[in-house]
Amino acid sequence: MERNQANLLQGTLDLLILKAIGDGEFHGLGIARRVEVITEDTFKVRPGSLFPALHRMEEAGWLKSFWGESENNRRAKYYRRTKAGEHQLGVETEQWTTISRAIGGALKTT
Amino acid sequence: MWSHIKSAIRNLLHKQQVESELDDEIASYVAAVTDEKIADGLAPEEARRRALAESGGIEQVKQAVRDQRASTTVESVIQDVRYGLRQMRRNPAFAWTAVITLGLGIGATTSIFSAVYALLIRPLPYADSDRLMEISQGWPKVSTYGAPLISPDFVAAQSSLRSFQSIAGFADWGNQNLTGAGDPVRVRVVRMTMNFLPILHVTPVKGRNFLSSEDRMGGPAVVLLSHRLWESQFQSDAAIIGRSITLEGKAWTVVGVLPAHFIFPDPEVEPDLYVPADLDADTNVTPNTSVLMMRAIGLLHSDAIMQQAQTEMKLFAETRAKGYPALLGSWAKDREIRAKPLHRYLTGDDREPLLILLACVGAVLLIACVNVTNLQLARTVARQHEMALRGALGAGRLRLIRQFLVESLTLATLAAILGLGIAGAVAWLIRRGGMPGEFPSGSHIAELLQAPFGKLSAAVQVNGWVLAFTAGLALLTTILFGLAPAIGASRTDLRTALQGAARSISSSRQQRKLRSVLLIGEIGLAVVLLTGAGLLIRSFVNVLRSGSGFDPRQCLTAEIKRNYPEAPEKTTGFVQQLLTRLQALPGAQVAAVTSALPLQPIGPNSVVVPGDGPLPPRTQWPAVCVISVSPEYFRAAGTPFLRGRSFSDDDNAHSVPVAVVNQAFAKWLFNGDALDRRVRTNIGAKDVGQFTPRTIVGVVQDVRYNGPEGGFRPVIYLPIEQAPQLSLNILLRTTVQPGSLSSAMRKTVTDVDPVQPLFDMQTMEERISQSLAQRRLIMLLIAAFAMLAMILAGVGVYGVFSYWVSQRRQELAIRLALGSSRPELLRLIVSQAMRLILAGGVIGIAGAWFLDRLLASMLVGVKVHDPVSLSLAWVLMTLIALVGSCVPARNAARTNVISVLHSE
Repeated sequence: MERNQANLLQGTLDLLILKAIGDGEFHGLGIARRVEVITEDTFKVRPGSLFPALHRMEEAGWLKSFWGESENNRRAKYYRRTKAGEHQLGVETEQWTTISRAIGGALKTT
Repeated sequence: MWSHIKSAIRNLLHKQQVESELDDEIASYVAAVTDEKIADGLAPEEARRRALAESGGIEQVKQAVRDQRASTTVESVIQDVRYGLRQMRRNPAFAWTAVITLGLGIGATTSIFSAVYALLIRPLPYADSDRLMEISQGWPKVSTYGAPLISPDFVAAQSSLRSFQSIAGFADWGNQNLTGAGDPVRVRVVRMTMNFLPILHVTPVKGRNFLSSEDRMGGPAVVLLSHRLWESQFQSDAAIIGRSITLEGKAWTVVGVLPAHFIFPDPEVEPDLYVPADLDADTNVTPNTSVLMMRAIGLLHSDAIMQQAQTEMKLFAETRAKGYPALLGSWAKDREIRAKPLHRYLTGDDREPLLILLACVGAVLLIACVNVTNLQLARTVARQHEMALRGALGAGRLRLIRQFLVESLTLATLAAILGLGIAGAVAWLIRRGGMPGEFPSGSHIAELLQAPFGKLSAAVQVNGWVLAFTAGLALLTTILFGLAPAIGASRTDLRTALQGAARSISSSRQQRKLRSVLLIGEIGLAVVLLTGAGLLIRSFVNVLRSGSGFDPRQCLTAEIKRNYPEAPEKTTGFVQQLLTRLQALPGAQVAAVTSALPLQPIGPNSVVVPGDGPLPPRTQWPAVCVISVSPEYFRAAGTPFLRGRSFSDDDNAHSVPVAVVNQAFAKWLFNGDALDRRVRTNIGAKDVGQFTPRTIVGVVQDVRYNGPEGGFRPVIYLPIEQAPQLSLNILLRTTVQPGSLSSAMRKTVTDVDPVQPLFDMQTMEERISQSLAQRRLIMLLIAAFAMLAMILAGVGVYGVFSYWVSQRRQELAIRLALGSSRPELLRLIVSQAMRLILAGGVIGIAGAWFLDRLLASMLVGVKVHDPVSLSLAWVLMTLIALVGSCVPARNAARTNVISVLHSE
């Protein structure tokens, strides 16, 4: 099942990326695949939204990038979460939980 | 936030690296996806094709990344600036006109602001300066204000005024001779109370302030030095404390040196030496009390209790008046004691002219903005097509407005840079406008006192505040001249503009109206400024023309003051020797001495009683200015005799006492017929009641004292042999260029008396020029601003009508083709212009009629609403505006019918 990118809630992508990276180091495709895995293929992240998000988050100081070697011996840009990123993940998780609880509650009421 | 800024800077500075990294990153992503597809069993070609398709276009991805970069806004603004600069290069005539016009406006405004800031806004360089008040007495009924307090009142005020934390004061002790340290020099001395420096939070850099045991009647002779005197006269002697100096032939002990940057809080006095005030603690006033005139400065407990303080002082004045002897009854009647902020006291008379100047430059700036707005409006119409195209390609309205504003801001910034240059030059003029004399006095501050705006002029410069002001002006002008065109342009209706693209687009009715209103406004403003300039120029001419009673050409003057006390014979002996030697100098025509030179400040310094009868009571002795002169004085000064004779060498201490009076004196006491009448004087007498009867032997023309605008007061001249005074000013009429005799004159004085300082040596013409410095500077500035306003308004008319003509070329061509004559076309356009010009003139005259009262206090010999100035201003502006409209009109009349109609 593929979701329309436009439906991806603003901020959700950041949350998913921060979560997907965890304490590891991934290049762009790696992150996209991780997101697919952890959302059980609900979200497919296209490069058109992945790279702007990665660059924006790097500029915000949540991610740090460096160049490294990929599995296939290619040069690739890797991303790692920073302390600020970890903090941001906490903040966004909390926000998301609040929202989803609220919406969930709202939908349950008849 | 910080990491954003860092990224933004990196994105801007290392743009290429950032871009190539982005390329690599996306390429490696596509390669990785391709690798996955190959691993899934696809052929390499097919795998790559699919990978590219899935990623949705490499360029789009890159653009998406770029769009959210931290530097995007900055980059697009830079693009706008570049675009703006390109537009300017493409249309240099517009760019130059706009930048120069605005630059002149901003420059003029900034320069006057730098003076206003330094003189009126900047806090005084003393701690708690907002609580410092100057306390003075005044007589509101006769509009006399700001007189110093008499010392018994001052001493009483110190203990009884509760609103003040403390009250300090000084009395000007005038110029005294300092000898025994280098060349003899004349120094300015004030007597100040021991709490004077503490109230200003000033402490001596060497030594100490006066002690309370020193600041009392008959206290020890101790003195504080100003830093510049310590440097110039004592070579910054480290062991100065405790050293003895000779002032007026008496020994004084130096106890301290003041800081280098200390400015004495008085607009006219900048002392070199300070001595204790030595006030009598007795606050009673009796007929025999000798009083000092004390300038008092009080430190309020808080600036909120100003009103309370005024009430307290009013009461104080009334209480004091009750204790005065009958002699002072009329003097103390209606007297008020009031306080005003020290800042006001220091900048006193300079406030009004400065604010008027600021208003004038504000008007010039406004005119400049109007001109540029008109230019921009005209250009918007020409650029409507471009705007429509940009709009059609997706530029939002805000984006279009922003582009316009950025263009305007670029213009304004260039103009501001030009303006700062102008401001620096004008600030220098205000600082140095005092025209340092041929013979500088050697004291920086002393010269500054002669600057047009006094000692605070030193601070007139382009500093941080002024820069901030200029930046603010640039922004303000951008909004003033850029916003209307920007909004107008962004409102372009895409369809009409693009459809009409083939034909030329003409401006909307609304825009035409706005342009006309702006034009009328600027013509009006220019007429107001021209009227003001006319009034000031006429006043200046009147000041120059008003008879001064002396001939300033070929005169070298200098001041001498003998030490007090001196035996009369010694003074006259000195004068005789000096005059004999001066007379013998090659190039000297007539040498004379006088106790007061023309233009110098004088006031009643003695009394005179007419007739021979019994003496009237003391309160009825008329006060008068007594000037002692040597026999040749009137010839040297070039003061004509109306009746009688001058003094001769025979009028000496042993001959019959005589006097010469001026016209004002003759009118005052003798209804104009003063010759051979008798008066009694007591100047120089041991006892005030001891009068010498004198015969008036001559009447001279009135001579101006107290500056070139001073009125004529009754003056009585006495032969110096019969009434020697200690002020002996030299007036040497020369046959050669007067400045060339300066060193000879100095040497002559030293030869006669080696410890006699000679100072303030100037030619008479320099004295006149100096005393006119402020009036001349203000007149020149306002005249320059008015000319600028007039030229700008003329250019404005030219601009608007050139545009008008260019918009109506077809119409004009058709008119010509249908048989209109060229002169008719010319008339058509000029009559169009004339309507606006006349409307502007009417508004200008009305405005000037209303506003010229602001100048009232600066006018001499002309009245406000002066018809000559008003009509001249109007005629001049109308002529210039007509010329401005004739040029495009003539071009229009030359329209080539065929080519215009063909081009459609």
